[in-house]
Amino acid sequence: MIISRRATLGGAAIAAASAGLPGLARAQSKQVVVGTWGGDYGELLRQNIDTPLMQPQGIEVLQDVANADPRKTKLLAERQARRGTMGVACLSDTDMHMMSSQDALDTLDMSRLKRAGSILPALRKPYAIPHIYSALVLLYNPDKVTTAPTSFADMWDPKYRGRVGFSDILYSTNTFAAAMAGGGSFGDYTPARNKLMELRSLDAKIYPSNEALAAALKGEEVWMTPMWLARGYMWQKAGIPLRHVVPKEGAYAIVFEAAVPRNSRNKDNAYAYLDAMLQPQAQTAFADRMGYLPTVTDASLPPEIAKQISLSEADQAQLKAPDYEYLQRSHGEILDFWNKQFKG
Amino acid sequence: MAALVLPAGVLVLLLLVAPMLLLFRISLNEFSPTQMMVEATTAANYFRAVQDPYYRQVLVTTLAVATGSTLLTLGLGFPTAYWLARMQGRWKSFATIVVMFPLLVGNVVRAAGWLALLGNGGAINAALLGLGVNAAPLPLLYNTGAVVAGIVAVVLPYMILTLSAVIEGIPRQAEEAASNLGASPLTVFRRVVLPLALPGVIAGSVLVFVLCMNTYASAVLLGGPQFKMMAPAVYDQFVRGNNWPFGAALAFILLGFTLVLTVVGSAVLGRCYRR
Repeated sequence: MIISRRATLGGAAIAAASAGLPGLARAQSKQVVVGTWGGDYGELLRQNIDTPLMQPQGIEVLQDVANADPRKTKLLAERQARRGTMGVACLSDTDMHMMSSQDALDTLDMSRLKRAGSILPALRKPYAIPHIYSALVLLYNPDKVTTAPTSFADMWDPKYRGRVGFSDILYSTNTFAAAMAGGGSFGDYTPARNKLMELRSLDAKIYPSNEALAAALKGEEVWMTPMWLARGYMWQKAGIPLRHVVPKEGAYAIVFEAAVPRNSRNKDNAYAYLDAMLQPQAQTAFADRMGYLPTVTDASLPPEIAKQISLSEADQAQLKAPDYEYLQRSHGEILDFWNKQFKG
Repeated sequence: MAALVLPAGVLVLLLLVAPMLLLFRISLNEFSPTQMMVEATTAANYFRAVQDPYYRQVLVTTLAVATGSTLLTLGLGFPTAYWLARMQGRWKSFATIVVMFPLLVGNVVRAAGWLALLGNGGAINAALLGLGVNAAPLPLLYNTGAVVAGIVAVVLPYMILTLSAVIEGIPRQAEEAASNLGASPLTVFRRVVLPLALPGVIAGSVLVFVLCMNTYASAVLLGGPQFKMMAPAVYDQFVRGNNWPFGAALAFILLGFTLVLTVVGSAVLGRCYRR
């Protein structure tokens, strides 16, 4: 029997196709692509959700790692596509609201989530589940700032000239802090303009990332910054000399949420993932390592961690979500002012 | 023969021309904070970019950094290219690989290296503080100098390899003849080598200038948050501001300036060459 080259190639192609197709079908039904941050967040998802909770269900989790801004851009760019690339998208509450108003997300069918009933009532949304949350606080170095600050306005004290630092990526919350110090509110950041320019003349420092700011706090280049309480907890754990105070002007909440894009390829797997994110053991792990608070009623925290990352009852009572509508309308102006006037 | 161009032509048409046309169309739309983009046919985004002093300053910074980096690269690259072109034997291949070495490392990784070298806790400052030369770290990072140094390190191989290929084509005898007739080394360079190497100077400078104008990683990582060039400004509008129409207009302004300056620069240098 003579086997021609063409026959061999044909046979190989058929064999490859028959071997590959079931694999492809399996991959499509048992995979979920999660658009998330990398670093600690991505790693904790892997350790506490992907491997222990999703793998036993036979669902493979693929992380699409990027910062929030590129992920938002991707969701917007894919809005019209029949099949999107993300099964689940993780974003902050402000960003998630923006994506929802751009019609990029599904309205969640809560009956498909076994854990829906345990979500803290204040954090429930129709288009996303809350994963973890924290509050905006003022972090300070107790060795240098000997009188503990009480408000955002303390950043303008001339004795801290050149010692206030900002993370560039948190331009929106930095502007919020300035607005509140100037008598503004959750729905009016205009007073921030004068306050930020004042701070600029007081030689405030701007760092390109949270990590660069952490290095500056560690090296005692700067002594004070508005930051998430959870970050402060992580940095304290890393040996940076820091304390925090919930500013008396107001407690701004940040919730990191997860949602299902409208064009998610496999919604069953996506819902299974959201359910896993709400499991108490996964929530506790994020609190322990990253200092974020659980968003479900039945996750218990070890007392020593709870003491460090929780808010007092009074602070908890005044914790408020940002004014999403205002932020969506003014986001461009806030960014423009930050870039052109404050940094310019 | 023309058919040979077809595969590359189709690829360019699909992957470059079509997205560019789409981007141009986007640049004529209007931005809305709530709807993101509203279909329109307006040049308002272009007017805004040209009239806004901030973006004019960003463009001026970009042009200054690109021009400065190109001239510095030319100054540093020419002697090396000449030496490489005149090299003989097996060491030449080795030297060529050494010249190309920076291209083997990604832009971001290279910039991370610069961060480790120039940062406040970086190698240089650690050494200066350790030796007691300085009491406080020198601000070596997050300024124009750091960006130019980063860019030059990236683009130098392009200049050297382009120049060296042209200089190799200049007969050694031409230089020897000039020397025999009493020309000093400087005169030989000015009257013989440089005019004959001018096509390489033009090609290398155009290539480097275009790369410098579009610098992103070096500008962001080494320039810091207060340093702005056009490519990061375009990214900012698309990704942080979600303002695609304005970002697209900025991208076309950058493209237009780069194109015009490249064509005019080449024409002026070319005219000098013909003389």
